[in-house]
Amino acid sequence: MNIRCAKPEDLMTMQHCNLLCLPENYQMKYYFYHGLTWPQLSYVAEDDKGGIVGYVLAKMEEPEPGEESKHGHITSLAVKRSYRRLGLAQKLMNQASQAMVECFNAQYVSLHVRKSNRAALNLYTNSLKFKIIEVEPKYYADGEDAYAMRRDLRELADDDSKPKTKDGGDELSAHDHSKHTHRGGAHNHSGHDGHCC
Amino acid sequence: MPSSDPLPPKEAALFRKLLKCYEMKQYKNGLKLAKQILSNPKFTEHGETLAMKGLTLNGLGRRDEAYKYVRLGLRNDLRSHVCWHVYGLLQRSDKKYDEAIKCYRNALKWEKDNLQILKDLSLLQIQMRDLEGYKETRHHLFTLRPSQHASWIGFAMSYHLLGDYKMANNILETFSQSQTSIDAHDYRQSELLLYQNQILIESSQLQQALDHLQKFEPQIVDKLAVRETLGDLYIKLKQEDKAVPIFEALIQRNPENVLYYEQYMTARCVSSPSDIVAVYREFQQQYPRALCPRRLPLDIASGEEFRLVADEYLRRGLRKGIPPLFVNVRSLHQQPEKANIIESLTLQYFENLTRSGHFSREDADAGVPVEPASALVWTALFLAQHYDYMRDTNRALEYINVAIDHTPTLIELLITKGRIFKHAGDAVEAYVWLEEAQSMDTADRYINSKCAKYMLRANMVIEAEEICAKFTREGVSAMDNLNEMQCMWFQTECALAFQRMGRWGEALKKCHEVDRHFAEIIEDQFDFHTYCMRKMTLRAYVGLLRLEDVLRCHPFYFKTAKCAIEVYMRLYDKPLKSETTIEEIDIENLPPSELKKLRSKQRKAKKKAELESAQAAQAQVKREQHQKSKQQANQETDPDAPQLDELIPEKLERTDEPLNKAIEFLKPLQQLAKERIDTHLLAFEVYYRKNKLLLMLQSILRARALNPEHPVLHSCIIRFMKALANAKESEPFNEHVQRVLDKATKELIGVKTPQQLNDEFIAKHLATSILHLYEGARGLYELDASKKQSAINMITSFNLSKMRLEEAVQVYTALRDGDIFGDCENEAEEYKLLCQQRFQYARIFRNVEELEAQLQEKEAAKLRAEQEQQQLNHLDTNEVSVTSTPASIAAAS
Repeated sequence: MNIRCAKPEDLMTMQHCNLLCLPENYQMKYYFYHGLTWPQLSYVAEDDKGGIVGYVLAKMEEPEPGEESKHGHITSLAVKRSYRRLGLAQKLMNQASQAMVECFNAQYVSLHVRKSNRAALNLYTNSLKFKIIEVEPKYYADGEDAYAMRRDLRELADDDSKPKTKDGGDELSAHDHSKHTHRGGAHNHSGHDGHCC
Repeated sequence: MPSSDPLPPKEAALFRKLLKCYEMKQYKNGLKLAKQILSNPKFTEHGETLAMKGLTLNGLGRRDEAYKYVRLGLRNDLRSHVCWHVYGLLQRSDKKYDEAIKCYRNALKWEKDNLQILKDLSLLQIQMRDLEGYKETRHHLFTLRPSQHASWIGFAMSYHLLGDYKMANNILETFSQSQTSIDAHDYRQSELLLYQNQILIESSQLQQALDHLQKFEPQIVDKLAVRETLGDLYIKLKQEDKAVPIFEALIQRNPENVLYYEQYMTARCVSSPSDIVAVYREFQQQYPRALCPRRLPLDIASGEEFRLVADEYLRRGLRKGIPPLFVNVRSLHQQPEKANIIESLTLQYFENLTRSGHFSREDADAGVPVEPASALVWTALFLAQHYDYMRDTNRALEYINVAIDHTPTLIELLITKGRIFKHAGDAVEAYVWLEEAQSMDTADRYINSKCAKYMLRANMVIEAEEICAKFTREGVSAMDNLNEMQCMWFQTECALAFQRMGRWGEALKKCHEVDRHFAEIIEDQFDFHTYCMRKMTLRAYVGLLRLEDVLRCHPFYFKTAKCAIEVYMRLYDKPLKSETTIEEIDIENLPPSELKKLRSKQRKAKKKAELESAQAAQAQVKREQHQKSKQQANQETDPDAPQLDELIPEKLERTDEPLNKAIEFLKPLQQLAKERIDTHLLAFEVYYRKNKLLLMLQSILRARALNPEHPVLHSCIIRFMKALANAKESEPFNEHVQRVLDKATKELIGVKTPQQLNDEFIAKHLATSILHLYEGARGLYELDASKKQSAINMITSFNLSKMRLEEAVQVYTALRDGDIFGDCENEAEEYKLLCQQRFQYARIFRNVEELEAQLQEKEAAKLRAEQEQQQLNHLDTNEVSVTSTPASIAAAS
């Protein structure tokens, strides 16, 4: 197993992994958008043949009203079922969070998770110290509610050693709802007016 | 900018408004303004207004009118840079980039310093990789606007892409010296510095790169990149002692990075296997939760040391119950010694766990506490996967059944059982197990995807689509949604399933869909040319350009292209008959046996035709749906996108030029996948059919350079020799061609005749390699059809116990289909029986009746099981608590 920062040539395999594992999918351009705007934030886990078995796709968001600085956001996180229970999701998340703090001064990282996804909820709350901020009703295309969650990253800011976390149990997935993908993803395949960016 | 045909003030104001409206995408207002100008009798022919009217119409998706007005405008005012620019923009939106470049160049003739046109031109040049042109345009932009940051960056980038590192670095160096105040945390500045550092490294100026990095480190926010680069540079510059603490810190930051450990070992000059293992042991202590320090020693250690580390590793994994334990050591199986040790260790665990609940007798004797009950299940699973890897199907099934009996609800076990059947050649039984697994966790898309894949392997396209539909958007067909999401694995598996079923048109449709994804992904880079300059993510941008340059070398493309090429060749070899010709054969004068054959053929054809028309009807419905959804979608999507031709299977499979279509798929492979021998073997097949001797020869030589021992290469040479001889008879070659061919032939086979060559080849491989022997037999028949029987005997008498399933399938299908050795039905049947004994699970060798009986048996068994289950449910609750223990294992996985 090898965990490293994603390169442009990984993005296609990340998309493949996403299509295998999660219901929320995006076109390649949306992956490019991530990889070329915040190249430090996305990570991949490889097997010993160099195949990608898990990834985190992450970005930065502008400050919310009343906030001063930007925060990170997890667009998508997945680990192939055949590679679960190795703690990969947690490790991927920690690397991405560290980079958010260093490169973009992120104060916290946010994500959405399906209310029914108990394994993922467990990972976020118990292993990664995320807190539920609110419920977003009918966030997902199929009508399911999402928990909007946040993890404070200030502890990482002063200490550039490894993040302190407990061992993770199960791991699953976070992902953005298709609504968010319209910008650069799902429905925008053409056009040179650059509004993917 | 002065116009070549100026309008008076009032109209000029309207025209400016028209431009504004276009920029704001207010196309309807724009049209009104254009009308106002053009309705004035003096300006009905005004070129620039007509051109802008056309461009505005294009914005509304009225492409044909757009071209009409833009061309009209241009004709009325050929000296207007506006008209040329507009024509360029129109062509660009139509993705005719080469044409657009010409238009911009014309526009610049009349307005050479127009910034907008120059910028637009530079984008097209980089998109088309006209790097020289790009450099000139960037230079021009630079001289026009030296005060803009983007001018400097683009200028430097253009040299970097041409490989002129020195110039690129000089430009950036001058630029950075002109920068005055720099913020404390400036991401863009940081990225620019790292980009410059990359240029220094790529030009092998390592000491300068190191100095540069050290000097600017405080300004760089990407600490990881700095540390990784510094460490690497120290190693390359032989300052290993300075690299050691860097990699120590990197490992602390991310203990799962293989490269960090390798570089740490290099920096510390640790090289002997046992020293390396010892260092890993230290890291195990330091990072008890990390996987790498435990797993990597298994690659390094050998012999007794390997047994020791493997023993620790496996016990730990089995105790904790880690499902990926086997996949994580699968690569070690390539070394037989390690595979043996792993096998003997796990067999020992299994035996002792069954007996005493310990991993070993020593543990039991020492009174160590027993292992968790689940350890036995995980050990059985591991053994099943191990034997499956070894293709020992019976033992694999034996262990997986033990595991399933123990914990029937553990999904991983069912998946493994399915995989065992897949490898044993029973795609149907395989999918049944995957379907079962899928039904136990319907919320997990991974298992859903795997189930769909197994269904496709069993040629069940409709069922696979239905399963996928559980996770695709509602209101759209799953096929359409998966296509929209560029789901290439699914489309490729569909194409292969259709190919196996002989549904050529549908296979081709899927192949073309995948090809279009690649075209779209290449198109995707367009927006990033300006975007990345603004964001200053230049390292990632250069990475993107380099990726797009070779995009079609991706394995997804290879797989699809291979399928498309094979299908097109099949359509060339046996063109589809039009329905009328089938009826026209004169049946009056046929002998009864032939008539019987014909009737059976006709029945089959009729069945196929019925199937096809049903599919066509289905396709029609889908097309209508698709059109509808497209119309809906059009309201939100960009009207700029040119409409691609619809892919219609019936048309694709009746193409007039199948070989040329095959070549379209072949070209990218020849360019980007030249390191794969299959590329050149495929190329040979295509050119053989085109009877292009020189290209055949080229393919052979390229394949030979990669692997002179490849079995298929031999039959390529034989067929080439035969084609050469035929060609010589019909017409003498041009002198130069003759010389090339003579020289190459001599090099290939010396002075031997093809027969000699073939006989020697057969003698060499007679008892050793079926794949070689097969090609030899093929050559034997090819060169002398009367040797058919001995050719067939030669391969059917090869010792089956030494053959792999795929090899037997290859030989059998060649005999069955009669493509290679002519009609040989009886031999095929006999061979099938032999194979059936050797590969008892492989479906291809079994009889249809037997399979149907088996299926009925299974249905009945399922029914019985359900009834039993119902009865059990009425029994006491103790039963339930027994089954809940294994269930908890499943929940934790």
